[in-house]
Amino acid sequence: MHVPIEYFLVLSAFMFITGVAGVLTRRNAIVIFMSVELMLNSANLTLVTFSSYIGNPVGQLFVFFVMTVAAAEAAVGLAIIIALFRNKQTMNVDEINILKW
Amino acid sequence: MNVDYLVNSLYLIKPELAIASALVLLVLIDLIMGNNKKFLPYVAIAGLIAAAYFIIGQFGMNSLAFVSKSNKGMIIADPFGAFFKGIVVFASLFVVYFSIKSDEIKASFERHGEYYTLIFGMILGMFFMISASDLILIYISLELVSFSSYVLAGFTKTALRNSEAALKYVIYGGVSSGIMLFGISILYGITGSTNLYEINSLIQSSSIPNLTFILSGILIFVGIGYKISAAPFHFWTPDVYEGAPITITAFLSVASKAAGFALLIRFIKITFIKSVDSAGYWQLVDLIDWKTFFIFLSIITMTLGNFAALWQDNLKRMLAYSSIAHAGYLLLGMAVLSNQGMIAIIIYFAVYAITNLGAFFVVMLIANKIGSENIDDYKGLGYSQPFLGVSLAIFLISLTGLPPTAGFIGKLYLFIALVDAKMITLAVIALLNSVVALYYYIRVLKNLFLSRPANGTFEFKVSFSNGLVLVLLAAPIIILGIYFTPLVDLAKNSMQILGF
Amino acid sequence: MTQYIYLTVLLPLFGFLFNGIVGGRIKNEKIIGWIGSGTIGLSFLVAVSSFFQTLGLPAGDRKTIVTLFNWLHAGGLNINVSYQVDQLSLVMALIVTGVGFIIHVYSIGYMHGDKGFWRFFAYMNLFIFAMMNLVLGDNFVLLFLGWEGVGLCSYLLIGFWYDKKFEKGTTGDAAKKAFIVNRIGDFGFLLGMFLIYSTFGSLNFTEVFSRVDAYNVPASIFNFIALFLFVGAIGKSAQIPLFVWLPDAMAGPTPVSALIHAATMVTAGVYMVARCSIIFASAPAILTVIAIIGAFTAIFAASIGLVQNDIKKVLAYSTVSQLGYMFLAMGVGAFTSGIFHVMTHAFFKALLFLGAGSVIHSMHEEQDIQNYGGLKKYMPQTYFTFLIAALAISGIPPLSGFFSKDDILWNTFANGHIILWIIGAGTALLTAFYMFRLYFLIFEGKERFNLNKHPHESPKLMTIPLMVLAVLSAVGGFIGIPALFAGENGNLFESWLAPVFQKANTRLMVYGAHSGMEEITLMSITVIGAACAIYFARYVYLKNPQFALDTSRKFKGIYYLLLNKYFVDEIYDAAIVNPVKRGSERLLWKFTDVKIIDGAVNGTASLINYLSGKIRKIQTGVTQLYAMVMMIGLVIALFWIIMSL
Repeated sequence: MHVPIEYFLVLSAFMFITGVAGVLTRRNAIVIFMSVELMLNSANLTLVTFSSYIGNPVGQLFVFFVMTVAAAEAAVGLAIIIALFRNKQTMNVDEINILKW
Repeated sequence: MNVDYLVNSLYLIKPELAIASALVLLVLIDLIMGNNKKFLPYVAIAGLIAAAYFIIGQFGMNSLAFVSKSNKGMIIADPFGAFFKGIVVFASLFVVYFSIKSDEIKASFERHGEYYTLIFGMILGMFFMISASDLILIYISLELVSFSSYVLAGFTKTALRNSEAALKYVIYGGVSSGIMLFGISILYGITGSTNLYEINSLIQSSSIPNLTFILSGILIFVGIGYKISAAPFHFWTPDVYEGAPITITAFLSVASKAAGFALLIRFIKITFIKSVDSAGYWQLVDLIDWKTFFIFLSIITMTLGNFAALWQDNLKRMLAYSSIAHAGYLLLGMAVLSNQGMIAIIIYFAVYAITNLGAFFVVMLIANKIGSENIDDYKGLGYSQPFLGVSLAIFLISLTGLPPTAGFIGKLYLFIALVDAKMITLAVIALLNSVVALYYYIRVLKNLFLSRPANGTFEFKVSFSNGLVLVLLAAPIIILGIYFTPLVDLAKNSMQILGF
Repeated sequence: MTQYIYLTVLLPLFGFLFNGIVGGRIKNEKIIGWIGSGTIGLSFLVAVSSFFQTLGLPAGDRKTIVTLFNWLHAGGLNINVSYQVDQLSLVMALIVTGVGFIIHVYSIGYMHGDKGFWRFFAYMNLFIFAMMNLVLGDNFVLLFLGWEGVGLCSYLLIGFWYDKKFEKGTTGDAAKKAFIVNRIGDFGFLLGMFLIYSTFGSLNFTEVFSRVDAYNVPASIFNFIALFLFVGAIGKSAQIPLFVWLPDAMAGPTPVSALIHAATMVTAGVYMVARCSIIFASAPAILTVIAIIGAFTAIFAASIGLVQNDIKKVLAYSTVSQLGYMFLAMGVGAFTSGIFHVMTHAFFKALLFLGAGSVIHSMHEEQDIQNYGGLKKYMPQTYFTFLIAALAISGIPPLSGFFSKDDILWNTFANGHIILWIIGAGTALLTAFYMFRLYFLIFEGKERFNLNKHPHESPKLMTIPLMVLAVLSAVGGFIGIPALFAGENGNLFESWLAPVFQKANTRLMVYGAHSGMEEITLMSITVIGAACAIYFARYVYLKNPQFALDTSRKFKGIYYLLLNKYFVDEIYDAAIVNPVKRGSERLLWKFTDVKIIDGAVNGTASLINYLSGKIRKIQTGVTQLYAMVMMIGLVIALFWIIMSL
C-alpha cells in the first residue's frame, strides 16, 4: 500500500503544533515536558519519512540519536522538577517566578 | 585502510579526546577516592591543559575528520575552531579555579565529582559544537551542552532560586532545541543530507523549494539564537544567570556563548556562502536575507539588553543583561557578512571573555564575603578594598568600551567593519546603545568610589592567589588596550575557516 | 646601537614609572634623583653611540628606522611605533638627552628638600619621554603624541608649586594659561595633520615627503598645510601672537624653565618646521610669513626684555626673541642655521637659566634684579659661567652664539631679505644690551640687598652642571664654523645636516653668489655693534646709574609701554578672554548648556529610564510567556522574510 508523503508530513506538523500549543498553555511542568517530547517525536517522524522516501539511511540514524537525547532530557527534566518540588511544593510553572524583571 | 582512516580522524580530534578522557577520569577518581574530593579540580586542570596543548597544535591545521564517501567530513579541524576552543578552555580553567574558591560550590562538597564531570560534559559538547559540520553532530553537541548546564544551573539544589533557574532553563532549552530539530528534519527532507558542505553545494546548483527552505533555516536559527541569547530568544538568560551558581553563570556567559557564536558563524558561512569577494565580503546564496535579519536581530538584542540592564540592582542580573547587549554587538559583526566583520567578532570575543570572567570573579569574591550581589551593598567598596574596586572598575570600563581598555579595541574594530561596509546608521545605533550602557556600568562605579562605606563592612583580605588571578585577568585588559597588535594578528589567523 | 635607539625613549619612561609609583613611598632623594637623572644619562649614552655609529655610515645612508610594533592598522591608516634615526633627529636627541641630563643633575641640588621631590623627577622624566617621542618618531602621530605629551608635562611643571602666589593669581593659573594658549596651536597642528592625511594618504614621514614630489598637489593645498603646521609651531614655540604664555611659564621651578621653556620643548616648533622642510619649501609664501613673524617676534620680545626687572622674565623674553631668530632662519630657508641655533641656544640659555636659578637660590627666592648687585664675589663660579653665557648670547666671537647667530643673519642677507637682516642685527644689539644690563645689575656694582641674606655659592651638584654648560656654550659653535673660515672641510654642521634638507633646498631659490668680503663686513658690523651695546650697558648700569633713571623719566611713555609688555596680555584679556568668558557664561552656560543641552540630556535620560522601566517588565518570570514571545518572534521573522521575497 502506497501512502503519499504528504500524509506523514501533515501528521508530523500537526504533532509539532500540538506540542508547541501544549508548552504554551499547560501549567503543569510534567505536561509541558510531555509536550516537548511530542515536538521531538514530530521531528522524528519527519526524519523517518524523508529518509524512507529519499532512500537515504542518515535520517533513520538520526532518529536513534534523537530518541536517546529525548530520554536524557526527560530524565534531567524530571530530576529538576523533583528538586524544585521539594523546595516549593508546586509544579505549576506560572507560580515559579521569583526570578523576574 | 579503515584503521588508518580512523586513526587519522582521531588524530584530528585530540582536544576532544583529551576532554573526554579527563571526563572519564573524573568519574573514576570520584568513585575510587570516595570522600576525598580535593584532587578533582587538579585533575580537571590537568585535562584542560592537555586539551589546550592539542588546541595550539590545531592552529596550523585545515582538515576534515570522519570523511564520508562523498568527501564531506563530520568534524573540522581549523584555526577558527582552535580559537574558539581556546576561549572555551581559557574560560574553563578560570571557572575551575573560581569553583575551588566559591563558597556556593564548597557548600555541596559531596557532589563535587558530578560538578566537575558535568562541566567537562559541557566542554566536550562545546568543542563538538565549535568544530561540527554536520547537523546531527550539531544537534547532539548542542544538547550535550544544554543538559549539562541545566543540571549545573540547579546544582545547589537547596536554594529555591537555583532550582527555579534550572527548571526555566530546561523548559526554554527543550522548546528551542525541539524547534531546531524540526527545522533540521525539514532541511534534511529538502536536501537529503545533513552535511553542511553538501547542503551548500546542493543549494548552489539545483533549485529547491524556497519557502520550505526559509522555514527550516529560521527554525534552526532558533536553537542557535537561544544559545547566544539573541532577542527574542534571550528570555532564559537573566533568570538563569541570576539563579545559577556564579561560577556557572560566568561559564555560561563566556564559554557557552563562544560555542554558540562559533556555531552560528560556521553554519552561516559554510551553508549559505557562494563566494568571498576580493574585499572580503561574503556573497551568500540568494535564499534568506541574512543581512537584514541580523541587522534587526542585533538592534533588538542590544537595545533590549541595555535598556533592561538600566534598572537592575543585582549585579549578576545586570551582567546577564549586559551579556545580552554584548551578544547584540557581536551580531553586528555578523550583519556585516565579511571577513572584516569576522575579525571584529573574534577580537571582541577574546576581550569579552577576559573581561566578563574578571567581572564575575570580583562579584564572586565579594559575594563570598558579604553574601550579597546587590549593587547598593557595594557602597564604598573602592575605599575599603581598593584592589577589588579598581579591578572591577577596569572590567566595567572595558565592558563599556572606553579607552584605554581592550573593550575599546573590540568596539573600535566592530565599528570600523561597520563603517567599511557603509552601515553607518547601524554604527550610530550601536554607539547610542553604548552610551546607555555607560550609565549602568558607571552606576556601579559610582557606588564603589563616590560613597563612603558604612563602618565594618568589607573587612576582609584578598588572598594572594585570588589577587594573582585578578591581576592575570585585569592586566591583559589594559595591555591589550594599548598594544593590541598581537590580538589583531591572532584574529587574522583565526578567521581561517576550512573551505574558504 | 642605532637599532636600540628606542632605549632612549624607554629609559625615561622607566624613570617616570619608577619615580611615579615608588618614589612617593621611598622618599629617599638620593635614589629618586639618581634614578631620575641616571635614566636620562643612559639615554644620552645610547644617543651618543648611535651618533657615532651613524657618523660611520656614508652620508647617503644615515637614515635608520627602528620599528617597535605596529600600533594601529585600520583601513588605509597604518601607524607604527617606530623611531627614525637620522641626522636631524640625532642632533635633537643629543640636545634633549644631553642638556636634559645636565639639568636633571642640577635639579637634585636645586630641588633638595622640596616635598614634591619625587613628583618633580617623575614629571621631568615623563617630559623627556614625550620629547624623545617627538623628535624620534617617524610619523606625525607619534610626533603629535610627543607634542601633546610635552605640553602636558609643561602644564604639570609650571604649576608644580600649585598653591604658590604668582603675579595676580597662583602658579596654577600660569599653567592653565600655558595649556590653553598651546591648545590653539595644537588645534592648528591637528588640522595640518588631517590635511596631510587626506592629501597624501599617509602620516608616515618617509611616505609623505616622498609623495610631495610624486603627487601633483596644488600650491594652495601646500599653503594650507604649511600654514596649519606653522600655527602649531607658533603656539609651541611662543611666537607672535601666541607668545604670552612663555613669560608666565616662569612660574615653574627654574630647572623647568631651563629644560622645557628654553632648551627643548619650545624648540619643538622649529624642529617640526625643519622636519617638514620639504612641505614648507613647497609653500614659499608661508615661508615668507614665517620669516617676518620670526624677525618681528625677535625684536619685539627683545625690546620688552630691555626694561624687565624680574631675572627670569628677562630670560623668558630673551628666549622668545631667540626663538624668533630660529623662525627667521627657517623662513629664509636656512634650515641648518636654525637647527644650529637651536643647539647653541640650548647650551647658553640653559646655562643662563641655571645660573639664574643658582642666584635665586642663594638670594632666598628673590627675583628682582634691582635687589641684587655685587654678587660676583659671593658666587664666583656662577658669576663666571653666567658671563660666558651672556657673551655667547650677545654673539661675541668665538663663543657659540656668535657662529649660529651670524649664520642666520648672513643667510638672511644673502637670500635678499635686507630689511629682515636689519631687524635681526638690531635685535642682536638689543640682546647684547639687555643681557649685560642683567649681568651688571646682578654681579657687578654695589650690593643693593640686606647683607644679612648671606648669599653663598651653590653646592657642587649645581655648579658642575653650570661649568659643563659653560664649556659647551664656549666651544659648541666650533662645529659650525662658517665655510669662509673653515677651509676645505667647509661647515661641518651644515654638511652633516645637508642630506635632510637637500630636497627642500633644491626647491627653494638658490641665492646668488656673494663674496666673502661681504660676509666679513656684515659679521664685523654685528660684532662691533654688540660690543658697543655691552659697553653702553656698562656705562648706563654700572658707571652712571642716574642715566638710566633719567632716560626712563624722559621717555616715560615708551618705558611704561615696554615695562607692561606692550599691554599684550591686557589687550588679549579685553578683546578675547573676557568676551569669550562672558559670552560663554551668559549664552553658552546659563542658556545653551543649562536650558537646552542639560534639558535635552536630562529629558533623554528620563525618557530612557521610563522606557527601560517598561521594557524590563516583559521579563515576567513566567517561563511560558518567554516561550510565547519566542514563538511570536519566530512567526514575525518568518512572516517578514516571506513577505520580503
